[in-house]
Amino acid sequence: MNSSVKFADMRSAYGNTLAELGMINKNIVCVGADTTDSLKTKKFGDKFPERFFNIGIAEANLVSIAAGLAMTGKIAFASTYAAFLPGRCLDQIRNAICYPDLNVKLVVSHAGLTVGPDGASHQQIEDIAIMRSIPNMKVITPSDAVSVTRLIKNIVDIPGPFYIRLARPSSEILYEENDSDFKIGKGNILREGSDMTIISCGLMVYKSLQAADNLKKNGISCRVIDCYSIKPIDRDLVIAAAKETGYIITIEEHNYIGGLGSAVTEICSEEYPCYVKRLGIKDIFGESARDSELNLLLEKHGLTEKEIERHVLSTLYRIKNGNLS
Amino acid sequence: MGFSMRYLDMKAKIREIRINAIKGIAEAGSGHPGASFSAAEIMGVLYFRILKHDPSNPEWSGRDYFINSKGHSAPGFYATLAVAGYFPTDEMKNLRKFGSRLQGHPVRYSKYLENHSLPGVEYSAGSEGIGLSVSIGIALSNIIDNKKNRVYVLLGDGETNEGQIWEAAMTAPKFKLDNLVVFLDRNRIQQDGFTEDIMPIDPVRDKWLAFNWNVIEINGHKIEQIMDALNKSGQIKDKPTIIIANTIKGNGIKHMANNPQWHGRAPHHKQSPLLIQELEGDYMISPSIIAGEKENYEEKIRKAERAGADMIHLDVMDGKFVQNTTFLADTIKKLRPITNLPFDTHLMIENPYEYIHEYIDASCDIITVHTETCNEEQFICIRDKVLSHGISLGIAINPETKLPNWVFPNLNSIDVIIIMSVHPGFSGQKFIPETTSKIFNLNKILKNHGFKGYIEADGGIDASTVQQVYDAGARIMVAGSAVFSNSDINSAIIQLRHKTNVTLERNLLRKADENNIRKDWLVARKHILIPLANELGIEDEINEL
Repeated sequence: MNSSVKFADMRSAYGNTLAELGMINKNIVCVGADTTDSLKTKKFGDKFPERFFNIGIAEANLVSIAAGLAMTGKIAFASTYAAFLPGRCLDQIRNAICYPDLNVKLVVSHAGLTVGPDGASHQQIEDIAIMRSIPNMKVITPSDAVSVTRLIKNIVDIPGPFYIRLARPSSEILYEENDSDFKIGKGNILREGSDMTIISCGLMVYKSLQAADNLKKNGISCRVIDCYSIKPIDRDLVIAAAKETGYIITIEEHNYIGGLGSAVTEICSEEYPCYVKRLGIKDIFGESARDSELNLLLEKHGLTEKEIERHVLSTLYRIKNGNLS
Repeated sequence: MGFSMRYLDMKAKIREIRINAIKGIAEAGSGHPGASFSAAEIMGVLYFRILKHDPSNPEWSGRDYFINSKGHSAPGFYATLAVAGYFPTDEMKNLRKFGSRLQGHPVRYSKYLENHSLPGVEYSAGSEGIGLSVSIGIALSNIIDNKKNRVYVLLGDGETNEGQIWEAAMTAPKFKLDNLVVFLDRNRIQQDGFTEDIMPIDPVRDKWLAFNWNVIEINGHKIEQIMDALNKSGQIKDKPTIIIANTIKGNGIKHMANNPQWHGRAPHHKQSPLLIQELEGDYMISPSIIAGEKENYEEKIRKAERAGADMIHLDVMDGKFVQNTTFLADTIKKLRPITNLPFDTHLMIENPYEYIHEYIDASCDIITVHTETCNEEQFICIRDKVLSHGISLGIAINPETKLPNWVFPNLNSIDVIIIMSVHPGFSGQKFIPETTSKIFNLNKILKNHGFKGYIEADGGIDASTVQQVYDAGARIMVAGSAVFSNSDINSAIIQLRHKTNVTLERNLLRKADENNIRKDWLVARKHILIPLANELGIEDEINEL
C-alpha cells in the first residue's frame, strides 16, 4: 500500500491495457457505442481500426454484435456506460451471450452514484444484482486503476462472459503493480484484523481502509477485504472472516439489495451464520451532485468511512451489551 | 435458372422438411407449424444448395453461417438439419421433450450444452430481434479475418417490430457488409393476428431501401426465385442484401395456410397421417408450350407464368425419333432469360447422348431422355454429365414401352419418370386410358424399389383425365392443349388444380375414415371443403357442422 496517496482513473487504465493487449493478441476486438472517447477504448481503435467498431447509440445492438464476434473466436470487449448496459440489454446479455457462454467482456464505466452531475438516470445501482443472477456471467468490481489493469489482463485468458464494473472519478491507487495476482474468484485481505471484517468493492474499498485505519487508533482491529470478484466470490475468504472475526460489515456503491452484501450474506447464512451488516444505497434512486459535491451525495447515502466506523462501533457496542450474539 | 441445382431433388427434400416438422410437432403436442412451413423453401434451398457446410464436421472453419433469428421456426429448422444429414430424422420425435437435444427454440451447440443443443445450430434463438445484430458480428469477424464465408439470416416479419432490428439495419450498411444476406419471411402473420393489424411494417421494401440495403422481393416458396435472388445478392458489392420473401404461413397444409390460429398450435397427433398424405400429395403443373395456336413461345411462357404454372415443359423433337420437329437447344437458350420457372425439358430425339451437353449449356433444370433412345451404357454417361451439373435427370417411356431393367439400379439418380399417355410427336392427341393402370402399377413397383422422385404424366392431360393420373400416382402433370388451346389460360390452370384438389380431398377423407377422425377432419378442414362439397358429395355433412 502506498503511503502517500496517488490518484488514477480506471478508464484510462482499461483503455491503455486493452491497447497493449491488442498488440499481443490479434483476437481481441472492441465495440463501442458512441462513448469510446469517454471509455478510452478509442486508443485501441486508433491502433487497430480494423478490429474496432463504433456501433453508435444502440446498446442492444452493441452487445449482440459482440456476441457474433465472439461466435467466430474473437475476444469481444463491449464498452459503454454502466447505466445503459445491464438493464437495457439484459435480454441480449442473457440470451445471446450468457446462455451460449460466449467470450464477451462487458466493461462498463460510470457505475454507482459517483457519476455525479448526470443524476439518477445515469447512476447505475442495480447492475451487480442483475448481472450476478445470470448463469455463466462473472462479475468483477475493481477497486483502483492498478487492479483494473491486472484484472483486464487476467480475464482475456478466461473464456466466457464477464461484467467489469468501473467507476467514473479518478480514484486513489490502492495497489502496487505486483501486490496481488488478482485471480478471479479470489479476494484480497488488505488489512488484517480480528474484531470485525469489512468486505467492500470498487471505490468503497478505500473508504473501508480509511475507516479501519481510524478505528485502529482506538484499538479496534478490523479486517478489510477487497472483494473485487463478486461472482465467483471467494467463499473461503468470507467463511474465514465469519469464523475468525465473527461479525461482517459490507459496503458497496450499489443498492443494498442483491449486490455484494447479499452475496456475502448468502454464504454466511448457509456456511457460518453470523451478523452481517449491509451498507449500500437504501433502495432509493440517487440525484445530481457536482464533482465537488460527490462527498455530500455519498454521505447522504451512508457511503463514507465515517458511516463504516459508526456501524463498527455500534455493532461492537451491541455485542458488548449482549444485544447481538 | 442458370444455377447448379437438381431442382426436383430439392423439391422432394423440402417436402421431407415439412413432413418431419409436422411429425415432430404432432408428437410434441406443441410448436409452431406455421413459421416452420413458411420458411421451408428458404431453409431448404440454403442447406441443400447454397451454404458451404459439412454435416459431418459442423464446426468446419470454411463454413457459411446460417443464423435463424426466428427461433419459433425450430421444428422446420431441425427438420432441415436432419434432412441435410446433421442428425437422424427419427430424432424429430423428441422435439420439445425433457432431456432432448431438440429444445423448443434452437440452442447454439456447445460442449457444455451438448445434451441440449444440436451440432450445426449456430445461434440460440427464442428472444426475437437479436439475430441480425449477432450476424453482423460474424460478418465483421469474417472481414477482419479476410474470410469469404457468407452469413445468411432468417428474420420473421413480426420480429421486425423489435427496435433492435432497425439498429442492426442501420449498422450493416455502415460497414458495407456485402457478405450478409437476410431473408425476411414475409408471411404477414404474427402471434396475435395479421402483421398489418398488430403493428404494420409496410411499406417494408421502402423501409429497407431507405436504410441503404440491396432489396430483392420474391415469392419465398419458389425455389427458382430464391436461387435467383441469392445469385443476385452475390453480385452486389459494398451493401448487405435483404430478400423479402413473400410467403404463406403454414404453406403446405391448406387449412393451416394463412391462418393466424396456426401460428403456435400443434395439430392433433391423430391428424398427422393425413397431413403427411397432403404434403406427399403435392403436385406440379407443367404446361407444354408446343400446344395451341402458332404463337410465339416467349408469349406462352409469360402467360403460363402469370397463370401460376409450376414449370415449363419443353418438348424437343428432332423429326427422327418422332415425326414432328419442334425446337432444339438453341431455342431453349434463347427462351431461358424470359423466366425463372424451371425448364422441364423432354428430349424426343435420337442419340440424346450426343447432344446432351447442348441442353446442359442451355440451363435446363430437368432433362429427360427416352429409354428407347439409349442403352444402359449411354444412359450412364448421360446420367453422369447431367448430375455433375446439378440438373435433375429424367427418363421417359412410350405407351407401349416397359421400364428397362437397367433403370432400377439407377433410381437414386433419377428425379422424374415420364410415362407417356399418348404417342409422342404431336400435341392434341387423346389420352390412352390404359396409361392410368400403367402409372398405378409402376408407381407401386418404383416405390418398392425406393424411388423418391416424381412420376410425370404426359399427353392428353386435361380436366377429364387429370384426376385419374393423379390418383394413380402422377405428381407432375404436363398439360398442353388443355392450357394453350384454351382462350383463358388462367382458368384452364385453375380448373386443372381444382380437379386435382378434389381428388386429394377425397383421398384425405377416405384416410380420415380409416383413422376414425372424419368429424374432426371436417371441422378442421371446413373452409377448404365448402367450395368442393358438391363434387365430394358432402354438402349435407358440411352444413350440419
